[in-house]
Amino acid sequence: MKTFEEKWTAWLDGQLSGRELAKFEASLPDKAAAEVEKADARKLRQLLKQELGARTLTNQEFFSHQVHEKIAQEDAETSESSGRRSATTSTWWTIPRLLWAGTLSLAVFLVCTLFVVHEKTPTEESSYLTQILNARVDPVVSPNATVSMFEVKQDRVTVLWTEGLQSLPADYAAK
Amino acid sequence: MGGVSAYLIPVFALILSATPGLRGAETVWSGLVIAENVAQPQPIPPELTRIEGPLKKFFGYNQFQVIGRSQKTLKTGQEDWLATSKFFGLHVDARGESEAGYVLNLKLYKEKELLLETDAKLSKRSPLVIKGPQIGSGQLLLVLVVE
Repeated sequence: MKTFEEKWTAWLDGQLSGRELAKFEASLPDKAAAEVEKADARKLRQLLKQELGARTLTNQEFFSHQVHEKIAQEDAETSESSGRRSATTSTWWTIPRLLWAGTLSLAVFLVCTLFVVHEKTPTEESSYLTQILNARVDPVVSPNATVSMFEVKQDRVTVLWTEGLQSLPADYAAK
Repeated sequence: MGGVSAYLIPVFALILSATPGLRGAETVWSGLVIAENVAQPQPIPPELTRIEGPLKKFFGYNQFQVIGRSQKTLKTGQEDWLATSKFFGLHVDARGESEAGYVLNLKLYKEKELLLETDAKLSKRSPLVIKGPQIGSGQLLLVLVVE
């Protein structure tokens, strides 16, 4: 046995027919108001169907959607890998790399130093040779003695050369 | 840690080897040498080995014998010392140190008689040779070398 509400819902949905329909409409107290209400319910149903129903994508829209999805995915992967790269870059100045950088700096410094020293060497070569500032012999003991001096740059030897010193017998060679 | 040490040691060795002119105490060898020409020359004394060529070339002798010597380590550059043989004495008076070497006053004595006096700036890299008097058939040479 259906209740009034069930019969009312079925009437609104147009599911009553025949004797059951006639019997239900006869039981309505105000059939005109009920018809208006039925028309409103139908309009509402159509409106809800239009606005809330799942919209079916066309082929073109589906393809476009797929492309957008792919682009978004690739963007996400790219930003992720660049994040990893920046994390790697931040660890560049590790101790081994600092050591290498230090060694390279030292090498550059040594090369520059050697270059500067090499540039200076020719002008200062004489300072590496022994220099005789002055020399004298006793004029009483060796009146005819003379002294001369020379530097042999090839052998880096400086010689003070005397002539005319008093000759001595071989006994003076004793230790 | 071992890897770092193995890396740092050669680097520091390189730096130290490349650092020029860290001067410490140095020794001056001074000697009285008789140069002669003989039939069978004796080997040259080790102190003279580095100047054997120039000695033979300049003075024309084939044997060099040390008759007196002295080795002095200079710390202040103001030291003095004496190298002597039986009849000769070489007095060396260091009068300061410079970038190039040591300033020395040299006096050669025959017994108590001053034969020769000279002032010289002795370089570490350059020996000094002084030709002295003729002795018999040979020649007295004075040699100073920074070792």
